[in-house]
Amino acid sequence: MLLKNVFVLTISNKSLVVKRGKSLYFITDMMRVHFLNKDLSKGYMFRVLLRITVCIVLATALSSCSSMSFGDIFSSYNTQMQPVHSAQFNGDFKLAESLIKPRGTSDGTYALSLLETGRLQYLDANWKTSEQTLALAYQQVQTSEQQAKIQLSRGVENVGALVSNDSALRYDIPFYEQSMLHTYQALNYLYQRQFEGALVEVRRANLVQEKALLANQGSLFKAQQDMNNNGISDKSFNESYPSMAATIGEVKNGFQNAYTFYLSALLYEAAGELNDAYIDYKKALEIFTHNHFLQQDVLRLAKKLAMTDDLARFEQQFGQYKSNEIKNSGQLVIMLEQGIINPKEEIAINLPIFTSHNDMRFYSVALPTYRQRKSPRTPLMLTVNEQSYQSQEIIRLQSLAAKHLEDQLPSIVVRQVLRLIAKEEMRQQISRKGGDLGNILASLYNIASEKADTRSWSTLPDNVQIIRLNLAAGKHQLQIKHQGQSKIIDVEINANRISLINVNSIGNYLDHKAINL
Amino acid sequence: MNKVILVASISLAVTVLAGCTNKSVVRYGDATAVETTDISFGSTDLQKVAGEMTDSLLVSPVVGTLTANKRPIVFVDRIKNKTSEHIDTESITDSISTKLLRSGKFRFVDMARVDAAREQLDFQQNSGMVDSSKAMQFGRQVGAEYMLYGNLSSIVKSNKDQSDVYYKFTMRLMDLESGLVEWADETEIRKTKGKEFVSW
Repeated sequence: MLLKNVFVLTISNKSLVVKRGKSLYFITDMMRVHFLNKDLSKGYMFRVLLRITVCIVLATALSSCSSMSFGDIFSSYNTQMQPVHSAQFNGDFKLAESLIKPRGTSDGTYALSLLETGRLQYLDANWKTSEQTLALAYQQVQTSEQQAKIQLSRGVENVGALVSNDSALRYDIPFYEQSMLHTYQALNYLYQRQFEGALVEVRRANLVQEKALLANQGSLFKAQQDMNNNGISDKSFNESYPSMAATIGEVKNGFQNAYTFYLSALLYEAAGELNDAYIDYKKALEIFTHNHFLQQDVLRLAKKLAMTDDLARFEQQFGQYKSNEIKNSGQLVIMLEQGIINPKEEIAINLPIFTSHNDMRFYSVALPTYRQRKSPRTPLMLTVNEQSYQSQEIIRLQSLAAKHLEDQLPSIVVRQVLRLIAKEEMRQQISRKGGDLGNILASLYNIASEKADTRSWSTLPDNVQIIRLNLAAGKHQLQIKHQGQSKIIDVEINANRISLINVNSIGNYLDHKAINL
Repeated sequence: MNKVILVASISLAVTVLAGCTNKSVVRYGDATAVETTDISFGSTDLQKVAGEMTDSLLVSPVVGTLTANKRPIVFVDRIKNKTSEHIDTESITDSISTKLLRSGKFRFVDMARVDAAREQLDFQQNSGMVDSSKAMQFGRQVGAEYMLYGNLSSIVKSNKDQSDVYYKFTMRLMDLESGLVEWADETEIRKTKGKEFVSW
C-alpha cells in the first residue's frame, strides 16, 4: 500500500473526504483540514505499522487486566443492550438473558450485567437463580463500599477513560438501583417462601435508602430553603403541609424509592410488626403524598396503633378515616410493574473550547441523556365483585434515574473536556511522529472511541402502581385490564392476612404472580 | 534512549503480569481461631454467642435448682433473625443445644425431625416388616417442659472512614406449663472496620 498524492479536505467538521487520484474516499467525522502531499516510502510505512502494532499489543495486555473490554471502546452500552431490550419488550426473557454480553469479574461493567441478568431471571420466574445473581451484585456493591479511600486502580481507569471513553470507569451502582436490587431480592425470597430472608433484604434496602437520604441532605435542605424564601416558613409548616409535602415529595422522589418502602411496610405488616410497617408507610407517603391507597394505609395503622397526634394531622389532610374493614376479611394488594425504563442515550453536542494557540474551536462531544418517553403511563383497571378500581403510581423510576444523571453531569462534562485535550494531544503527538497516516489513524480512533457512558440498569420497569382493598375471606375472581390486555386471576383471600399479586406489564406481555403473606 | 524505553516497557509488563496472577494455596487452620475476613457475621461471632449463652445458662442459679434432681426436657424454638444479613440461625441453636446436651444437665426433643420420626414409627407399625412386639409405639414420646428461644438483631452504621456493626443476641428459657421466663441473657458484639487509605 502506498499513498501518493493524497488530498484531504473537510466538508464540515463532521465528515472527512479523502481524494486520491480521481476517486473520493468518504471517511467520517474530522476536525481539521490536512494536505497530504508526500511520498511514503516502504521503510517509513514499516516503522509506522510496527509502532501501531506495539501499541495494540500493549493495549491488549493492559485491557486483559483493566476494567474495559475491547468492544466497549467502540460501541456504547445502550447500543449493546438494544437486542436485549427488544427481546424483553416481546416478553421473551430467556432470549433477552442470553443476549446479555457475558463479562468477567475484572470488567468494570460486571456488576451492572449482573443486575440486568438478575432482573430478567426474575421476570422469567427463576427466583432461585435470580437470587444468586443479585447476591453476586450485592457482593460487588459491598466490596466497592469497603474499598480504600484512594484506589490506585481507579487512577489507572481514569487514565484509560482519558484516552478512550467513560465506559472505562468502573460502574458504581447508584443508590436507587441498589434499593431496587434489594426489592427484587426480597421478592425472590418471598416467592421461595423464605419470609425471614425477604425481611433481611427489606432491612438492607432501608439501609441504602438512609444512605441516599444522607447523601442528598443538601438538595432537600435547598428545597426547604427555597420554600422559606417563597414565604413558607417552618412555623406555617402544618397549615401549608400539603403543598409543602408535595414539593418535598418531588425532591425525595429523586433519590428515595417509595416502592421499596411500600413492599417493606407490607412485609412488616404481614409479620405482625405494625410499628415498623407504620414507619415505612409514612416514609412512602412522604414521597407520594397523593396516593390514595397509601393515605388509607397510614390512617388505618395510625388508628390501630393509637398514634393520636399523627392521626389528627393526617385526617386534617386526607379527610376523616372511615374503617371499611369487614368482619372476616383479608386484604388484596396488587403491585403493577409497568414497561421498561428509558435507557440512557447519547447526544452529540458542540462544545466551544479554546486551544493552546488561543483560538476557539468547536469540538463535538458525546454525553449521556434520557429522552422523553413516548408511551404514556396508564393505570391498571381491576374489576372484582362488580366493582372497579384503578391503580395509582407509587414510584417513577425515571425520576430517580434522571436525578442521578443530573448529579453526575458536572463531573462527566469535566472528564469529557479533559479527554478532548488528551485525545487532541495524542493526535498531535502521533501526527508528528507517524506523519499523516498516523494523524488519520489517530483522528479515526478519537472519533470512533468517543462514546457517551450510557450505562444504567436498563431492564427495570418504568413505574410501579398499587391497588389495595379489603375483600371477604374466600375465593375471588379478579379481572385486570392494562393497555388493551386483560386477564382473569383467581385469588384466595385469608382472613386477616394479605394476598399480594405482582403484575408485570411490558409491551403486550401481561403476567402475574400471586402469594399469600 | 531505546534501551531506556525497553527497560521501562519490560518493567511495566512485569508489574502488569504480577498484578494479574493469583496463586491459591490450600491449608488447614484452627477451627476456633479468630476470623476477621470481613465485618459480617462470621464463625467467631457464632462461637462467641453460643459459648457465652451456654455458660450463662449453665451457671445460672435458677437453672441450678431446675436441674438439681432431674434433667429437664427442652425444645429449641428458632432464633429470629432481625439483622440485615442472611444468617443461618439454626446453626446457632444447633451449637447451643449440643453444648447443653454435652453438659448432661438437659434433655432435648427435636422438632425439626418430627416428620422423619413419624415416618419411621409408621413404617414400624404398618409396613408388616417389623416384629410388632418390638415395634415402637405411637404416643409414648415425652413432651418438652421448657422452650429455648431468642432474637438476633443488629445495628449497622457506616461513613466514609469506617463501618460499624453491633449485634445483640438475646435468649430466653420459658417454662411451657406456667409461661414464666425462667432465664434470659444477652450477648453483645461490636465490630468496626476502618477503611484503608491507599490500596491497589
